[in-house]
Amino acid sequence: MTGYLLRRSVGAILVMWAVATLVFFMLRAVPGDPIAAMLFDVGDADAIAALKAKLGLDQPVYVQYVKWFLLVLQGDLGNSIYGSRIEVSRIVMEALPRTLSLASLAFVIAIVIAVPAGLISAIRKHSALDNMVTVFAFLGLAMPDFWLGIMLIIIFAANLHWLPAIGYAPLSQGFWPWFSHLILPAIAVGTPFAAIIARMIRSSMLEVLNSDYINVANAKGLKKLRVILVHAFPNALIPVVTVMGIAIALLMAGAVVVENVFAIKGLGRVLIEGILNRDYPVVQGAILVVSTIFVFANLAVDVLYTVIDPRIRYDS
Amino acid sequence: MSTKKYYTDGHIRRQMKADHDHALDFDPGDPLVGLHRSDLAGPQLERRTVLRLLAASGALTAVHLLLPGVAPDAHAAAGGTLKAGWAGVGEFRTLDPAQINQVLLFQIASNVLSGLTHIDPQLVARGDLAIDWTASDNGTEYVFNLREGVTFHNGDAFTADDVIYTFIRSRNPENSIHSRVVANVADIEKLSDHKIKLKLKAPQASLLVKTLERASGRAMTIVSRGAIEKMGTAQYGLTPVGTGPFRVTDHSLGQLITLEKFDKYYDPERPKLDKVTIQPIIDAEPLAAAIEAGDIDIIGGNPIAAELIDRFEANSDLNVSIITGPGFQSVWMNPHRDPFKVADFNKPVAELMKEKGFKVRLAIAKAIDRDRYIERAQFGRGTPAYGSINPAMGFFFDESLAETSNQRFDVEEARKLLADAGHPNGEGIPPLKILHTPSARREVQVIKDILKRNLNIDIVLDPKDFPVLIDAFDKMDWDLTRLGSGGDFDPDDGIVDWMQTASKFNGRNRDKEKFPFGFFSDNEVDALINQQAVTAEPKKRRELVRKLNKITSDKVASAFIFHPADILVYRKSVNFPAQSRIPGLMDLDRVTIS
Repeated sequence: MTGYLLRRSVGAILVMWAVATLVFFMLRAVPGDPIAAMLFDVGDADAIAALKAKLGLDQPVYVQYVKWFLLVLQGDLGNSIYGSRIEVSRIVMEALPRTLSLASLAFVIAIVIAVPAGLISAIRKHSALDNMVTVFAFLGLAMPDFWLGIMLIIIFAANLHWLPAIGYAPLSQGFWPWFSHLILPAIAVGTPFAAIIARMIRSSMLEVLNSDYINVANAKGLKKLRVILVHAFPNALIPVVTVMGIAIALLMAGAVVVENVFAIKGLGRVLIEGILNRDYPVVQGAILVVSTIFVFANLAVDVLYTVIDPRIRYDS
Repeated sequence: MSTKKYYTDGHIRRQMKADHDHALDFDPGDPLVGLHRSDLAGPQLERRTVLRLLAASGALTAVHLLLPGVAPDAHAAAGGTLKAGWAGVGEFRTLDPAQINQVLLFQIASNVLSGLTHIDPQLVARGDLAIDWTASDNGTEYVFNLREGVTFHNGDAFTADDVIYTFIRSRNPENSIHSRVVANVADIEKLSDHKIKLKLKAPQASLLVKTLERASGRAMTIVSRGAIEKMGTAQYGLTPVGTGPFRVTDHSLGQLITLEKFDKYYDPERPKLDKVTIQPIIDAEPLAAAIEAGDIDIIGGNPIAAELIDRFEANSDLNVSIITGPGFQSVWMNPHRDPFKVADFNKPVAELMKEKGFKVRLAIAKAIDRDRYIERAQFGRGTPAYGSINPAMGFFFDESLAETSNQRFDVEEARKLLADAGHPNGEGIPPLKILHTPSARREVQVIKDILKRNLNIDIVLDPKDFPVLIDAFDKMDWDLTRLGSGGDFDPDDGIVDWMQTASKFNGRNRDKEKFPFGFFSDNEVDALINQQAVTAEPKKRRELVRKLNKITSDKVASAFIFHPADILVYRKSVNFPAQSRIPGLMDLDRVTIS
């Protein structure tokens, strides 16, 4: 196992390097001059040239790359091009807890909805309950998350005044402010994933429920609930966990539309605004963090397989 | 342009009438007669002088005297927290005036930092950290008396040294993006701890409103040397230390700025509020839901999406105050490309009218029905534009341009011009690409429809992210561009920045061998702009500004479309006094909340 983890970690680092390098060169190939845009209101061509020189953007791209890469190796993600040129690490680290909070809560909501829905749907195959879950799943998949977010705001914030419409409160301000700001966006983000996971649990459970060892368990006279929860469900989890791993990774940077709707500055928005502004260091830094999370989330899923199914042993 | 909320209080009406009568107790035929340079010295222009200037511009009406806003709320009192939402923005990357490049940022900074002067609702400069000032006869030296007993938020005392430090910092392009704004300031001399002499290289009419102004000026917005040295510039940009009415106590990047009352502000009566929180909100619908739900009390930042205003006006919990905004929006036509090619604008209009390219330019400008555009694209809010001088400038604005400009709307004449240019019914004109930001899509669509309907010209929308758009615009790599200006408080903002051959936006990165000028170049306009810039006497300056504004309009420097309205939306619990209703700004020091 240790050897496997080491090999995967090395592979993960190589993937991160490849992604970061690709992004570095692709960003510079995209049209748009960030300094000219930033100094649009100033207008002085000499000032633009001077600032480019100061930031090293007048140098050949490969020189910029080597300099950036050496800094990254020292743990320095550089500074934003815009405004007061804040450290990229600070921009990312301020956004990361918001993204983690939103992703975690959305994930919990997705699981809380998906697991019982998927199980009931599988156990009561072709029943009214199953049909309801199927309809919910298709609705969840069909509804754009931003639309659902706006609907939630209109209902629960604008009309009922139960929850805040926008913004974010860190956990340091208390559980309720944190939770009340995040519950609506988390529902908006989590619902489509709940739909996917519920469908996945249903199909996986149906397959397991038809296997011989479940028939044996039933023949032994075990209680149905025990058969389902102890014998069937864990074995049905492997494909579900795979999807969950991808879902976690997607939630990290893929909630940008919902972040916009609820005015939460998470990693997704950092990334999108960085791209729109051609703020190269910010995009590179954010991509590096997101790809790290993505790669290691999938590594964690692989490790989780061994916990769920003891038959899986990577070293063998 | 009118305000939606009118004063109803009898006392205010009586005061209004008295003000109006007082304003016209001089010769209404020429209200500027007898107005002397000393009348224009600080600490502020007398109200009577301001009224005379307004009357001279023909802009003095009962509505102007009202100053948009609502009658003071009887229940409003000092204290409380105001929750503000800033529209169309994801984060506030800097509040350091040396780096601020957006109106929505100096709206905030103006509540935290001070300048030597600050504009009032009539865009007249009033003393801020300067108590008063005198100018030399030749207009190249100003002596400012500074306020004593003023402290920065970190406890440091404000002195003349801070003015000099700010100047030295700002004139260095490595430290400030506004070095050009102070390029005409030769030196600042300390006469005492609270007295400075400012020496100019040449007289500058816009000195008080542009260079020394705390909000839009930015170059001379006074910063704290102690704080910058202690914090570093990056942190200073997030939590700047100034002498303003509010201090920044927290800045959660991209999430929330918290301002708290500065107890030692030089005016003990201000600020009224204890605390202000400012939340950036990108999307329009959540912004609307937030103010309707009471999550926020007031909207600042970028202009509010036009389609929301009717909804806000219908909401009995909200106030909507509408005044003329300080800016203009245009459709620019590349004079180096067919079909609107013009090789040289330095000819009388009658000569230009013989050229095919100019005829097409003028036809497009004349075919744009500004009223229809404003109705459809701006939901009826805005002022038709025929030049770069906006109506918020009151005194300088030329209302008659709507009738006298070559660009006056006339479809038949536009069609005839197009036919004379060899393009009857738009024949032979290839589809023209119009460069615009994605957010301007609907507005550009309206322009496209109007030009198709009136001239049978096909327009192709070419949306580009701002960095890409600016890159192309600077290089003159476009057919048409929809672009304009905001935060224009002085004529220089509209003409020096846009209409001169050497203007900063005028094709600055073009291939100069291929394109000898950018989008417009006229020697007479250049000379008039230089002349007005050094003309301190308001009436003379106004004449020059109006003259050159008309030339740029007649020669179609661009097809001027509209002057945006400045729309302020806030909940009824907020009392936003008329005194603070400065176009484009969000001064919160006099605001109260009930």
